Amino acid sequence: MPSARTRLILKTAAWTLLGAGAVGAAVGMAVFFGGWYYIGATKHHFQSVYRLLEKGMQYSVRRNARDIEAPKLGAPEQVLRGAALYRDNCAQCHGGPGFAQSPIGMSMQPVPGPLIDASANWKERELYWITRHGIKMSGMPAWEYHLSDADIWATVAFIAKLPGMSAQDYRAITAQATTQASAAKEDR
Amino acid sequence: MKRASILALSALLSLLLAACGNSGRPPAGVLGDPQSGKLALSQYACQACHIIPGVTGSEVYVGRPLDDLAKRRFIAGTLPNDQANLVRWIRDPQAIDPHTAMPDMGVSQQDALDMSAYLLSIGR
Repeated sequence: MPSARTRLILKTAAWTLLGAGAVGAAVGMAVFFGGWYYIGATKHHFQSVYRLLEKGMQYSVRRNARDIEAPKLGAPEQVLRGAALYRDNCAQCHGGPGFAQSPIGMSMQPVPGPLIDASANWKERELYWITRHGIKMSGMPAWEYHLSDADIWATVAFIAKLPGMSAQDYRAITAQATTQASAAKEDR
Repeated sequence: MKRASILALSALLSLLLAACGNSGRPPAGVLGDPQSGKLALSQYACQACHIIPGVTGSEVYVGRPLDDLAKRRFIAGTLPNDQANLVRWIRDPQAIDPHTAMPDMGVSQQDALDMSAYLLSIGR
């Protein structure tokens, strides 16, 4: 049996914790149900909160993509296919060499980052995973149901080429992709 | 004793606040509203490529960090760094350097003025 003094200390500590918890919960509920959390996209997360969410996202992608084996990427026709896919599906939110994203992408929060440096930050299999599964609460859609597996890899192959691409290169390759696609259509 | 520590704490807090808040005042002669500019910077996705103190974003090095813009002598390598040139650069970077990777975001004159006011107020 602990002494009376020890019991008093333990009891006080327990009640204090309980009381603090109850007050915290009440304040939290008041903020939550009162609508005191500002949900508008003009007010940003604190930098520390943003950093935490971003880090968590990175660890999650790394873990989930770890068993994917990337095929050999970068064949010219694959990159060309990727260029058309990038222009039609990615550029509106992420922009590209020498041009900005559309106003939709610009004003999103979190803002869709540039992909020019994506291959420096991510492995190929991770880019594939992100494109395929999307990122929750970020606006990044899961492309799994809209693009074939081969097309997702083609997009990744193109993104891998972005760091060395000038605005002119980009215009040239996307134009070439269009010409080839319409030529292929006429063949059918 | 207690009062003294509260006083000391509030003094420390106000010091901290002052340290955070000194980005509010632009240097003499700078037009536009820095606080509106800070918001506009995030609405035109500037923080997608640039690290900007006070604007929440990733640690990104696609464009150069803008923390010391106010101290630089030149912008875009060629333009003397003053507010008018900064506004020109923000609004139409390709007109100044056709090969720059910095895109035209369609920034209005007023927004560019406010953005430049913010950028010239920080890190001085």
